[in-house]
Amino acid sequence: MQKIGMTTTVPMEVIYAAGMIPVDLNNIFITHENPQSLVEEAEIAGYPRNLCAWIKGLYTTTLQNEDIRTIIAVTQGDCSNTHALMETLEMAGVKVIPFAFPFDRDYDLLKLQMEKLIESLGTSWEAVQRTKARLEQVRQRVKELDRLTWQGDRVSGWDNHLFQVSCSDFEGDPEAFASRLDTYLAELPQRNPIKADIRLAYIGVPPIMDDLYDYLEERGARVVFNEVQRQFTMPFAIDDIVEQYRTYSYPYGIFYRLEDITRELERRQVDGVIHYAQSFCYRQIEDLIIRQKLKYPILTLEGDKPNKLDARTRMRLDAFLDILR
Amino acid sequence: MLCGIDLGSRNVKVALRDQDGSLSFHKFDTVSFYREHGRAVEGQLRVDFAALGLGVPERVVATGYGRQTINLQGAEIIPELKAHVLGAIQQTNLTDFTLLDLGGQDSKVVLVARGKMLDFQTNDKCAASTGRYLENMAAVLDIDLAELSRHYENPVDLSSTCAIFGETELIGKVVEGHTLASLAAGVNYTIFKRIKPMLKKLMSDTIVFTGGVARNQALVKILERELGVPVVVPTHPQFNGAIGCCSYALE
Ligand code: SF4
Repeated sequence: MQKIGMTTTVPMEVIYAAGMIPVDLNNIFITHENPQSLVEEAEIAGYPRNLCAWIKGLYTTTLQNEDIRTIIAVTQGDCSNTHALMETLEMAGVKVIPFAFPFDRDYDLLKLQMEKLIESLGTSWEAVQRTKARLEQVRQRVKELDRLTWQGDRVSGWDNHLFQVSCSDFEGDPEAFASRLDTYLAELPQRNPIKADIRLAYIGVPPIMDDLYDYLEERGARVVFNEVQRQFTMPFAIDDIVEQYRTYSYPYGIFYRLEDITRELERRQVDGVIHYAQSFCYRQIEDLIIRQKLKYPILTLEGDKPNKLDARTRMRLDAFLDILR
Repeated sequence: MLCGIDLGSRNVKVALRDQDGSLSFHKFDTVSFYREHGRAVEGQLRVDFAALGLGVPERVVATGYGRQTINLQGAEIIPELKAHVLGAIQQTNLTDFTLLDLGGQDSKVVLVARGKMLDFQTNDKCAASTGRYLENMAAVLDIDLAELSRHYENPVDLSSTCAIFGETELIGKVVEGHTLASLAAGVNYTIFKRIKPMLKKLMSDTIVFTGGVARNQALVKILERELGVPVVVPTHPQFNGAIGCCSYALE
């Protein structure tokens, strides 16, 4: 089956319906044994040093995975760095299919975008609708995992992150993913409860470092809400698939995202919020809006390189937890 | 005797507190402190306090940049900003202030109200507003830090966002023929410009200024003039973190 790369979540129902396998390039990049080497390779190719590491990682990841020769690039709803990423990949012979989430969440425009995607991958609305029903089975279970994260005390922030972030492509095999998840859920009751007196929310793009959640838990704090990762799971059960991707908040403006964030912070009873922004990302600017709108203690974390927290970031985390205690 | 240790990026600062409450201070170069007086025992750093001339403390509380990597044997480790807040309270008897700490490689601003840390800011991956920058710039001007710290009038305008490029820019200004006084003032002003956004966000009625850079009198003057609030520099600005560790040990 043909693999289709993607730069962030797109209506993957279309890809599965076309009998292809979606591959979220972010996930391959960050699980590479040495992700930083991929970033450096992009820099050698000519990508600027002062540019988001995700973009550089995606560039090298695509070039290295020769079985992925077509990618769907989100040209609106993510950053404009993606445009140049597309162009440099086209130069390298990769076929690029653009996809735009309309800035104003316009239903018709979004529908048109999906229509074009359906056409270019050669499938139909009916097949897409059937696929949606199939994926719904898996999404239901992820929803349960997320519920258990904040209503129980056995799902770690990292597991919550990992399972949800994987929903951007279901690792290319939704059923296999679902059965792994079933096993995880079945084993939960035997797990030790996580001891943490501080409940945190994590908002912003997924972290480029993988030890954040463990670091927090070692210090008695746990993440009970992963904002964007949860969005990847299409948390709102909506029949109309266009509406589903219109309700999905990640590609749209910060004010719309804040509605979802505010609701969840309240529901999940968090003590503080970590706003993660990637170095050199335009979303760093939105931090000032987030700080004005959310009435919670907020720590703004900046991540640059994969894969581990640096000493400065750890110092900042310690201070934040100290404030919350 | 209680011992507070601030493991800084360049110096290890030690404060010893006697039964009668009197404090004494010791400073070591960070690298030689680790190399000559410490040894790794089962993943922990064992420090020979007696050999350092520090006697045998009953309790050791440590903090600092090294705290993440160095697991000091027998020491209780506390978060760096907490140590600094405690130190500032201990040294000034104030409970409501904005703490500005400019150290060898990093800068921190903490808002403290009723003796508790409310919010904070730290510099990101850039040493351009720290002691290292001042040292480099003093070297370019061929003066010592004491001389550099005297000037704050008629500063030359230095834009530099980067400590290294800043040197080139300063050399350019030297060539243009500015007086040493305004060149030095320009260097001091640059520090202020960099920390201003952090301070503005966390302003209060008083600034407590600590860290090695707090000995820069010109910067103190600039802060007072530009922000219109009193700037309190405690007696031992550089040992503030270590003193905070002692206060913690006392509690
Ligand atoms: S983190 Fe920001 S800059 Fe990087 S790819 Fe995502 S949106 Fe673009």
